[in-house]
Amino acid sequence: MDDMQRRAFIKGAAIGTLAFTVGGVEVFLTPRLARAQNLPLRTLNPDQAATLDAMGEALVPGAKDAGITHFVDQQLSIPAEDALLEARIMNVRPPFANFYRAALGAVDGASQAKYGGRGFAQLAAAEQHDFIDLMRQNKLENWKGPGSGFVYFLLRSDAVDVVYGTMDGYAHLGVPYQAHIAPTTSW
Amino acid sequence: MSNEKVDVVIVGAGASGSVFASVLAKAGKKVVLLESGPDWQLSDLISSDIWGRRVKPAGPPFLFEGKNPYGYVYQSGWGVGGAALHYFANFPRLLPNDFKVKSTYGKGLDWPIDYADVAPYYEKVADDIGVSGDAKAEEIWRPAGKPYPMPPMKTFPGGEVWKKGFEAVGMRLAPGAVGINSTEYKGRPACIYDGWCHVGCPIGALANPLVTYLGDAKKAGAEVRAHSTVTRVLVSADGNKVTGVEYYDAKKEKQVQEAAVVVLAAWAAQNPRLLLNSAAGKHADGLANASKLVGKYLLAHFASNTSALFDEDLQPYMGTIAAQYYSYDRYDKNSYKDKGAFGSTFMVAGTAQRYSALGGVANARLDLFGAELAAFMKRAATGFTRLTAFAEEMPLLENRVELASDKDEFGMPLGKITHGFNDEAVALFNANFDQGMAIAKATGAKEAWPNKGPMPTIHLMGGTIMGNGAGDSVTNSYGQTHEIPNLWIAGPGIFPTSGAPNPTYTIFALSQRGAENLAKNWGTVAG
Repeated sequence: MDDMQRRAFIKGAAIGTLAFTVGGVEVFLTPRLARAQNLPLRTLNPDQAATLDAMGEALVPGAKDAGITHFVDQQLSIPAEDALLEARIMNVRPPFANFYRAALGAVDGASQAKYGGRGFAQLAAAEQHDFIDLMRQNKLENWKGPGSGFVYFLLRSDAVDVVYGTMDGYAHLGVPYQAHIAPTTSW
Repeated sequence: MSNEKVDVVIVGAGASGSVFASVLAKAGKKVVLLESGPDWQLSDLISSDIWGRRVKPAGPPFLFEGKNPYGYVYQSGWGVGGAALHYFANFPRLLPNDFKVKSTYGKGLDWPIDYADVAPYYEKVADDIGVSGDAKAEEIWRPAGKPYPMPPMKTFPGGEVWKKGFEAVGMRLAPGAVGINSTEYKGRPACIYDGWCHVGCPIGALANPLVTYLGDAKKAGAEVRAHSTVTRVLVSADGNKVTGVEYYDAKKEKQVQEAAVVVLAAWAAQNPRLLLNSAAGKHADGLANASKLVGKYLLAHFASNTSALFDEDLQPYMGTIAAQYYSYDRYDKNSYKDKGAFGSTFMVAGTAQRYSALGGVANARLDLFGAELAAFMKRAATGFTRLTAFAEEMPLLENRVELASDKDEFGMPLGKITHGFNDEAVALFNANFDQGMAIAKATGAKEAWPNKGPMPTIHLMGGTIMGNGAGDSVTNSYGQTHEIPNLWIAGPGIFPTSGAPNPTYTIFALSQRGAENLAKNWGTVAG
């Protein structure tokens, strides 16, 4: 990395933040704060965001407020070689936004087909649970997109990232984080 | 643009390239390393599974096909230090039975060398960069040799609990040999056991190339050019020698680096991709490919994980990502012959656990989500431990890398990796779950379960195998290609068989051996 890249990287990583845009100015925030401030999304549309919020929360409780949608959305807006998503190491071909759009579209499409036109975010909790259980086993009908088991794996990983892969997450589990180079407030 | 000719250009600044650079720069050669990724520094190694993904490749220059597609690039490198920037630093070695598989068992391939040829280099590497372990304890499985320069690492309950299980089934364990300092070594500090090795150790307690071979190479004058993507090896008009490489620099401008010797030390799949893409003149099928074996016999390890939960606090967050204990007790390739299996197994116990990401605790129960996952995470936070059985597949001609029709941003064809496990490997995968569960149950764990799923592919080896001549292989035992004397290949790509253990210690040892040979024979090799 050159010095300028490194300074930007360390600045973001050391305080556990990502670059978001507020009023046309780039600021560093945690995804949780970005969500709390209702910052505009860069890549995902409102329907995709609602689906990701609902899916993230159903997969890992706490993922919605931890900012899963702002996390994924921000990551999709930067070059693939800078991205921190699990998709990076699972052979998803960049740009990663293509995968997420297809995956979230497949979730909603299959949900609408199964539940009389209701998207995943409109389902009751028990319905969401049943849907995910079929999705992870590649048993959903009318699924049109990347393999549903793989989508389950990656979205679950994103949700685990924002809930358990952070310093807050370790604290919640009651285990020490013990960083060499500390992401002092988040990850 | 053309650069001043150098003695050696090395493609890839990972484990093997760093060793070649160190040996040759110290021998007085002018060395340039070209690395496609960033120039990582220790200060870039943030302790985070999320940020740790930055030191891994982003998206494929490769496509993945076959019955068991090569699964992920988790073990691959991207940038200076390569995969050894974030490796687990397990330092097991191959055993004598790995070098003569064909002669001994009538299947697989033979190496053109024996364990005795490599053993002195295992010992040299241990002294040079520091290995912690108990050589005497390992000698129940291998020929005697020198002690490791440091005592074994500290252990934690997450490793200790496995001893009872192994003893109950009549299997033995030894402290894991690791490339991590249990004591201060050559000015590098001792490990502090915080479990973040796999995203890079910024204090230099773990022997990554930045603090070992690459640091030595730079001190001796080697130059590292990051963001430099090599697309072709250039060959002379008569085809008898290589003259350098073509690459694209950080500004994506084409450059030529002439050199007397070219060493390909990129990923095991990237080296054949380069050789195939460099076809020219009499090398119409690619360089060093008279055998038609460039890209063939790709090898992957696979692993059968057994998880266990205890009520006690095992401190699973403490330790290193390397093994506290390991066992070669099922290393005979016919250990599970009665189950239709063939190949060696190498078992490791008691690694530090992280809670997210690919190898994290959450993925130990991939079937759980929602409130059930949250409840599991709470229970597993302090009571989780894992046993991993790494195992070996035999070299198959159909496991290969070849050029695809799609191209990358530089116009170079993508590589396509086709991979599948044969029935004997599948049987070994299953047998190792049975063995793991027998051990886990005998530990007294409250719960134990096999992490069964699609067979994973771990590590990548082969593709440019060594052998006795151009009829059966691509290189000799030093990595020198049979057909072009000043074209060399370094790294696990030259393994004809993989054994079962983590490959990096063997990569270091073979690279040291190869580089010393190149330096010694420089006058007859250099073009």
